[in-house]
Amino acid sequence: MPAYFNFAIKRLWQFVLVVFIGINIAYVITHVTPIDPVEQSISAVTSFGNTSPEAIADMRRSLQELYGLKGDWIEQYISFWRRILQADFGPSLSAFPAPVTSLIARALPWTFGLLAFTTLVSWSVGNLLGALAGYYRNNRSLKFFGVLAMALHPVPYYIVALSLMIVFGFIWPVLPITGGSAMDVQQGWNWQFVASVFHHSVLPALSLIMIGIGSWFLGMRSLVSNIITEDYVVYAEIGGVAQSRMMGSYIIRNALAPQVTGLAMSLGGIFNGAVITEKIFGYPGLGTLLVDGVYAGDYGLVLGVTSIAIIGVSLSVLVIDLIYPLIDPRVQVAS
Amino acid sequence: MTTQPILRVDHLKAHFRSSYFGVYREVPAVDDISFDVAPNEIFGLAGESSSGKTTLMKTIAGLITPPLELIGGKAQFSFMPPETNLYGADPAQLARIRWSKLSYIMQGSMNVLNPLRQIRSIFRDFAAVHIGGSNSDFETKTVNHLSRLRLDPSVLDAYPHELSGGMRQRVTIALATICRPDFIIADEPTTALDVIVQKEVLGMIRSIQREMGSSVLFVTHDMGVHAALTDKLGIMYAGCLVEAGRTADIFNAPQHPYTRHLIHSLPRIGDTVQRTGLTGTPPNLANPPSGCRFHPRCPLASDICRTERPMMRQIATEHRVACHAVAGDDA
Amino acid sequence: MKRIIFDLLKYNNEFRIGVFLILIVMTMAGLSFFSPYPPNDVFVVPPDAPPSADYWLGTTSRGQDVFWQLSIAIRNTLAFGLLVALLSRVISIVVGLSSGYLGGWVDRVLMAINDTFIVIPLFPILILFYFVLRDSMSTILLALIMSSLGWAYDSRLIRSVAMSLKTREFTGTSVFSGMTIFEILRREHLPYVLPIIFSTTLNNMNWSIGLEVTLAVLGFMDINTPTIGGMIYWANQHTAIVAGIWWWVTFPVLTVVATFVGLYLIAVSINEYIDPRSRLSRMGGGQS
Repeated sequence: MPAYFNFAIKRLWQFVLVVFIGINIAYVITHVTPIDPVEQSISAVTSFGNTSPEAIADMRRSLQELYGLKGDWIEQYISFWRRILQADFGPSLSAFPAPVTSLIARALPWTFGLLAFTTLVSWSVGNLLGALAGYYRNNRSLKFFGVLAMALHPVPYYIVALSLMIVFGFIWPVLPITGGSAMDVQQGWNWQFVASVFHHSVLPALSLIMIGIGSWFLGMRSLVSNIITEDYVVYAEIGGVAQSRMMGSYIIRNALAPQVTGLAMSLGGIFNGAVITEKIFGYPGLGTLLVDGVYAGDYGLVLGVTSIAIIGVSLSVLVIDLIYPLIDPRVQVAS
Repeated sequence: MTTQPILRVDHLKAHFRSSYFGVYREVPAVDDISFDVAPNEIFGLAGESSSGKTTLMKTIAGLITPPLELIGGKAQFSFMPPETNLYGADPAQLARIRWSKLSYIMQGSMNVLNPLRQIRSIFRDFAAVHIGGSNSDFETKTVNHLSRLRLDPSVLDAYPHELSGGMRQRVTIALATICRPDFIIADEPTTALDVIVQKEVLGMIRSIQREMGSSVLFVTHDMGVHAALTDKLGIMYAGCLVEAGRTADIFNAPQHPYTRHLIHSLPRIGDTVQRTGLTGTPPNLANPPSGCRFHPRCPLASDICRTERPMMRQIATEHRVACHAVAGDDA
Repeated sequence: MKRIIFDLLKYNNEFRIGVFLILIVMTMAGLSFFSPYPPNDVFVVPPDAPPSADYWLGTTSRGQDVFWQLSIAIRNTLAFGLLVALLSRVISIVVGLSSGYLGGWVDRVLMAINDTFIVIPLFPILILFYFVLRDSMSTILLALIMSSLGWAYDSRLIRSVAMSLKTREFTGTSVFSGMTIFEILRREHLPYVLPIIFSTTLNNMNWSIGLEVTLAVLGFMDINTPTIGGMIYWANQHTAIVAGIWWWVTFPVLTVVATFVGLYLIAVSINEYIDPRSRLSRMGGGQS
């Protein structure tokens, strides 16, 4: 147990470092640029219509507070961190006076649900198919899937999502291409709403899965084709260990560890994809919130979503890291 | 000579054939090899690295995967139906004999245990199907077997990385012998171990072999180990068997110039004579020398050695050699 | 290097397809130098014309010829990807080689930072940049920002190669023969690391082009420099898909997909050439 404790401390420290560096980047971006973010925001907001001079002055004051532009840079820096740690990003400018925190709280379950589901599906299906493809190298349909994955994997989320949208929205309009649920359905735990959510999430989920599955498939296939030449697999083969045991406990089990690390390392990229996918399909999650926040010049919202994204992704990475010793018992000894 | 051999290797040939990025290579790694292994006998195979020992082993065991190909000949075990190699045999038949009749201790045994599996599960994976019975029966049998080999049953709870190299090798030997097989193939099982551990492991192989009456095909380049352990000995050079016989005979009266060199290169206490090495290097098997493959390095080479390949000939009881320079009756 | 390319061309299908696709894309980019229209001018041709003998790939609703617009766009996009890849190579090589070679606390500190950059979701950060910079955001500036953020994954790879090189015999020999660390890195290790750097360069280009397209499509970019993303952005602004001007979207998408697949296939086949294990499995074997 002390070994695990040491290991967990190390991981926790890495988590703190990620959040620290990430938030500092956000601070530097918003504070060291020559452009005055307050005037930027005000011009973005006021360009839409007439706003009285008093209202603008009021807005300028609250913005300066929000940006933490009062006092010298040390005070600014400390107040910036205080806001982040208290998750207080002030009122949203675009949905005034709703606080940014409540907008994020409303959007978070959508993104979390979509991402958790699609990541889990593409990771497990991709790995399973990849393992089979690495083991049964001459299987026709698995080979075909490999070619498909090769062609699909390097294409960015945006292109895949757009193509799906064209196909299912215009050429063969059978699926809803925008929104998280039907407008006329009451949100809540009723059958209609849940069905509508599922219906609406088909396209966003499909595009995320289509992209994700390829890289897991290709990664697992090459891992497995290396593992089957390892001594312990050859030895188990000549020892007549049963096929299913061989596949599960010898091949997949040993390929799993790098794939779990890979999952942790690609969560950031997966989140990037979600931002775009959500925006394209008008899905009411963090991505849409972020992009709309930029369009509306809503500083608090953009900073809030960015911080939540950094913390959320590194927290997920931390969770994966902490359960990693279950998958590979060697790691505690090594560290 | 009256007993039926448990393994008869008959004119076995296996070549590596590969073609990659336009280069075709054919390497005759096992070239026309014949020998017998009797029951309750340890047969040693010696030779330098890349002389084809491991490939011969794999061919006998039927572990032939591309680019290795079986070209001809037989490797016939007495517990298999007549006229069948392990390679290409009925999978159900193979599954029955594997581990119960024939088991292996592999080269590089450090990595033969699945790193993510407890030793107990590994034993179960390999042997449960042959031993049968309930889980607790199997557990009892495993523990008994381990204590017979003077291993603490607590190793069953360990993962391979928690054991030392010597310990892992002993666990592997326990694993290979738990089903009391008739035949054990051991490929360089002690090479990576330090001398003390090596001695213990060799003693362990010897005692379990005596107790079970199994045959062992034991491969190592270490002539010292052969002298201490094996009953019979075969010397390999560049894919060919050049000499075979009782270990004592070969050490006392080596015939082939290569064998003589191997044995004379062994150090003896009190011996101060400067040892001379062979000139040259082992041949590239992708392009082997004509005639006798040893001739470019052989002090006794004559014209016939350069053109004609020497056949194995009987020169004394159970002593065969393939050399033009050695006189003997035709086999 | 020449021999590697020749071998790959002769025997590797993936490499051949990749090179073919990239050649097409590069030809397209090269043609931009002969464009009859200045890239930023609008309404130089009749708008919304479908592909025809006069306008091979049709025209846009802004009166631009899709073919010529596409050629300058892919040129800018490729140049952008190359710039990001080259700049970020500098960081990943320095970090990767020194971390792998020096080891110890240098390695620990560098890798802690490195892993941070792997984990942080970069897209929101890039959006934050745009949010603050707005109209001052230029293609060059974006390239600078992205190369200072997108080096981490590759430096980890280079580090692992350097670590394995470090333990090889010739490194010790070089140390004993009195070479400085820098000389060892440059003269002995770089030739081994180069093919890997090359393949990571291609992958990094894919990554940066993908992000650039995405940012531009959302309008979070300097939309006046014609790029592939910018083309799709303008097409979306004019609701080209709904209006049936499919050629305005389809051809940029096809071009950029060809770029992605081409670069990826070349990177993959080079990796395979480097890795002897996958070479073995190609031959159908795998035993040593």
